[in-house]
Amino acid sequence: MKRLILEMGTGVDLYGGDYTKAACRAVRDAIGHSSLSLFRSCGLSHQDMQVKVTIAVQEPEKVDADIVAEQLPRGNPSVAVVRGGLNVDDPAAGEATVIAAAAVEAFLQVDEGAWKISGKSDD
Amino acid sequence: MAKTRMALELGMGTSLRAGDYTRAAVRAVEDALWRNSISFAEAFGFDKSDMLIDIHLGLQKPDLVDTDMVKAVLPYGNCSVTVGEGGLDIAKLDGSGVTILANAAITVSFDMERVAPPRTTDMPAGKQVGAAE
Repeated sequence: MKRLILEMGTGVDLYGGDYTKAACRAVRDAIGHSSLSLFRSCGLSHQDMQVKVTIAVQEPEKVDADIVAEQLPRGNPSVAVVRGGLNVDDPAAGEATVIAAAAVEAFLQVDEGAWKISGKSDD
Repeated sequence: MAKTRMALELGMGTSLRAGDYTRAAVRAVEDALWRNSISFAEAFGFDKSDMLIDIHLGLQKPDLVDTDMVKAVLPYGNCSVTVGEGGLDIAKLDGSGVTILANAAITVSFDMERVAPPRTTDMPAGKQVGAAE
């Protein structure tokens, strides 16, 4: 499998302290600013794509990975959650603003030599 | 198959105080490009220099964008820049000018064609569209 793209994003839950909500927003931010047009233009199938999601928050055990996976419309996503992101404490409010970082990687099997640049010789 | 679009990347950039349309445009392009890392050239066995990059910008005063400065943002690839009327100018409250918002859409393409026929592993044998009788 070859990696086609790495998409990055951040998401925040400002007041609720909800790590899953921040993670979902980070995934939407990562995938929502680009489109992999090549599936349509090259006649490839999304079914063959594999998507790997990595979420980073300060308390990884509080992220519901199944809900995060539902944010991906296609690509048989796998979701890993690690420690990272950023919490911003507001002593006056008594609760932290939680920031999640997301990395979304799309992989596809591209057969060696199946494509070439037009007008270039094969050798 | 000719010019084939592989991806679309979107970004937004601003010039909050300077009133600089080129700066807003450059930031929009950087926002679009630096959110993602694409590796189509590696995946398909092409050279990065084969990449065809088309930058489409929308700003309220397209004539004030220095497209050479926009092109200079790109690390590699053949590039074209078109600037149309779009984006958004927001009047400052003190009447001293506008806050500028630029929209950027970048398409990444290759002039490519298929050498080997597509694999047909998804379809059960005998059910392929157009298969010989």
